Amino acid sequence: MLARLNRKFGYDERSAAILVFPVVAVLLVVAAYPILYSFWVSLHDIVLTRPLRRPFVGGDNYLRIFGDERFWLAVSRTTVYTVVTVVVTTVLAVLVALLLNETFPGQRILSAVLLVPWATPSVVNGLMWKWIYDPTYGLLNALLLKVGLIERYRAWLGDPDLTLMLIANAAVWKQMPLAALLLIVTMKAIPDDLYRAAKVDGANVLQRFVHVTLPALRPGLMLVLVYETMISIRHFDLFLIMTQGGPGDASFTLSWLIYVETFRSLRFGTGAAMSYVLAMATFLLSWAVIRWLGKRI
Amino acid sequence: MAAITCEKLTKRYGSVTAVDRLDLAIGHGEFMVLLGPSGCGKTTTLNMIAGLEEITDGTLRFDATDVTWQPPHKREVAMVFQSYALYPNKTVRENIAFPLQLRRTPRAEVERAVADVSEQLEIAHLLDRHPSQLSGGQRQRVALGRAIVRKPSVFLMDEPLSNLDAALRLSMRSLIKHLHQRLQATFVYVTHDQAEAMTLADRIAVMRGGLIQQLDTPDGIYSRPANTFVASFLGSPPINLVEGEIAADGRFARGALRLDLPPGAVAPGRAVTLGLRPEDVAAPAPGLASLEARVTLVSPLGSETLLEVVAPGDVALTLRVPKEWRVRHGDSMTFGIDPARLHLFDRQTEARL
Amino acid sequence: MAGRPLAPRIGRAVLLAFFSALFVLYVAGPVAWLVSSSLQTEAQITAIPPNWLPPEVNFGNFDAILNAAERQVTYETRRQGDPATGGFLPSGAANLIPSLWNSLTVGLWVAALNLLLSVTAAYAIAVIDFRGRRATLYTVLATRVVPDIALIVPLFLVIRNLGLINTLGALVVTYLAITVPFTIFILISYFEGIPRDLYRAARIDGCGHWGALRHVYLPLSLPALVASLTFAFLTSWNEFVFALVLTQNVAAQTLPIVISGFVMDFTTSFSFVNAAGVIAIIPPVLMAVLFQRYIVSGLTAGAVKG
Repeated sequence: MLARLNRKFGYDERSAAILVFPVVAVLLVVAAYPILYSFWVSLHDIVLTRPLRRPFVGGDNYLRIFGDERFWLAVSRTTVYTVVTVVVTTVLAVLVALLLNETFPGQRILSAVLLVPWATPSVVNGLMWKWIYDPTYGLLNALLLKVGLIERYRAWLGDPDLTLMLIANAAVWKQMPLAALLLIVTMKAIPDDLYRAAKVDGANVLQRFVHVTLPALRPGLMLVLVYETMISIRHFDLFLIMTQGGPGDASFTLSWLIYVETFRSLRFGTGAAMSYVLAMATFLLSWAVIRWLGKRI
Repeated sequence: MAAITCEKLTKRYGSVTAVDRLDLAIGHGEFMVLLGPSGCGKTTTLNMIAGLEEITDGTLRFDATDVTWQPPHKREVAMVFQSYALYPNKTVRENIAFPLQLRRTPRAEVERAVADVSEQLEIAHLLDRHPSQLSGGQRQRVALGRAIVRKPSVFLMDEPLSNLDAALRLSMRSLIKHLHQRLQATFVYVTHDQAEAMTLADRIAVMRGGLIQQLDTPDGIYSRPANTFVASFLGSPPINLVEGEIAADGRFARGALRLDLPPGAVAPGRAVTLGLRPEDVAAPAPGLASLEARVTLVSPLGSETLLEVVAPGDVALTLRVPKEWRVRHGDSMTFGIDPARLHLFDRQTEARL
Repeated sequence: MAGRPLAPRIGRAVLLAFFSALFVLYVAGPVAWLVSSSLQTEAQITAIPPNWLPPEVNFGNFDAILNAAERQVTYETRRQGDPATGGFLPSGAANLIPSLWNSLTVGLWVAALNLLLSVTAAYAIAVIDFRGRRATLYTVLATRVVPDIALIVPLFLVIRNLGLINTLGALVVTYLAITVPFTIFILISYFEGIPRDLYRAARIDGCGHWGALRHVYLPLSLPALVASLTFAFLTSWNEFVFALVLTQNVAAQTLPIVISGFVMDFTTSFSFVNAAGVIAIIPPVLMAVLFQRYIVSGLTAGAVKG
């Protein structure tokens, strides 16, 4: 009997249990339990201003979301914002990676500078760009006027057609460095012989990029796309700092909707249901991309 | 206290069986070599003896003590690795002292032991260097030092010489043999190199597919291989294996080739594989079977000469003959073969007959 | 080299210089403008056209922040004006220094606890072949892919029910949930790069798992440990949404929360906000640049692995 127990829980098992227990405990309490609890909340009509009555409503919250036109508006805003952010981030990251993968004096300083946006708190990122976009004192107006691209100052963030793009710009500025770092690592792994072979075969710079760099970059590129999508789809800080969903509903995204629904209207039931929908969407999206990737690479 | 007994020792990874009900009794002070190609289960067996791999089934005993479930740090074994496995952040001195420090040995005693061991292994001048500043041979000496400083009763060696170049390998081989003679400890030595196995071992266990093919002294393994696998794994150049059958007259037959066998060895009509070691040929003489063959390649080795010949029935053989024989490409010659030195295996089971 | 034609080399140098300049302009320009603004008086930064560089370096804004606690901010004093900030000292200004301490406290706790939890778990997952290894790995993986937005509502409710709203402890625990899965992946990929034979040697030499971790894995993974510490501190220093939901006042509010309060207060002095932004940016940027090498290898290793 004792031998059997010993067999099932030998020294390795006992040590591992002790080493892993704290993490599992923390994650269960702060991640797993809230996720399950959130599901329970999403099945009830919980409004914080009415704490005692919290009837079970089943899937009603979910049904209500899909019938809510604000939700579909937010979906379209989020989609536009995410696509723009991800695409611009990726393109810029490739360019930056190409630059920093070269060896030249000052390259190490530039690599250090690259970390500045990454380390900048998103709140500061928001206020910084808001200040740059400022309608009267901002840098953007002054700069464009000086160059002659505009004739008079404009309220940039107040323009519904531009708001999302301007917020996306701030997001790109902060996110691009990590993406570039990932791509540089992938580039460094490309064997030098491939470039030498391509040179011997007579390929010029552009051909070498298209036929050697780009194919080798694909895993890194896919990783960046998945990661940036998952991050961008749930951006919130910039929206709170810069526009609060406005002007009008120009920057009314899903995470903003969830915030408003939950912490302004205090409808926790629907808020939780929305969070669930967004989480599942992110999850399925990345799962699909990874599956698709797995087949292609 | 250092006899090792494996009873039905088994290791499975999922559905793959790496070691299959292995029985092996290693005596006190014995030098046991586990020999086989990669993937044969020899390293897994060693790891199970060390405690580094959990034993799926079976029992492992050190003397009378069941250590099947004992973690490695309680087993009092020492081990030397192919990659040396020296701690890169510690100096040579700290590397050697480490096992003693873990056992809370008094400092003075540790110092004495380290000095003693480094003296023996001629690495005293390297004590304050880091492993990255040492050559491969020096590293392996340090690794040996770290193993013997504990004076363990069981030494485990996992291909310790495979990363060294040929000359160094020879000198380290004799160093290990000297160590074994001096320490009187039990050695279990894993290798895929037959020369190491032959020169070092008291007994060799030849393994394949997680099973022991043959367990015997080096001489027994070489001169009485249990099956065609063992026969072809040992010997350089490898043994000649010729498939054929036993003719009605009791001779081995393959096409036009006929060879005399010891009388009454095998019943006629049986499908067999004949084994002939390259060196088991001589000048024709009475009492020897004779073999006509045409020489297709002559490779002088200095001490002797290797011949590739074609015997009747288009049977290609490799033979080793004294350097004094004057042989030229294209010669037809007659060789004498002692029937008692021929090996016969069943063609189906590959087992020795 | 001397034999190589000069023209392509000059061409390459010009191209590199051009793109480097663009890069610096885009990446560092906005921050430089922020710093420049923080060193000007309110009057100077509200000039049209703006002053690209401060006409004279003026630390009045920083001075105002550091001394904000000693000022009684009332309607009267605000009307009287403050010379440095153009008279628009925000009402929450006194909270800034306390929130800086809160951020620092939370960040250090998170960095330390995160490392403690992650190192042990990563060692077990990377090194020990135990039953439940895969289950543990998947638990960690799952918590890593769940978006924080799904955690905000329930975490708020859970922490409110526990009565821990507006405590630093609630923030620490929450940030651990965000940082630990990622750090575990950084460390696992680093640990797996340490030769297995070193582990085997340590075990044979007499180390248990604790000893192998202490004598082999920790000394050999210093870069990953530094990366983990930095990553955890920065994440917690920069985090906004959870802090916004889980804190209410100066007892637990962190720097980003107080600063966001300034930004949304329309009466606030721009120069003051900019100075606050610069204060919030200094520690993380300093850390990032200081530990650049470790961060790059650590972050990318963890990301590629997961």
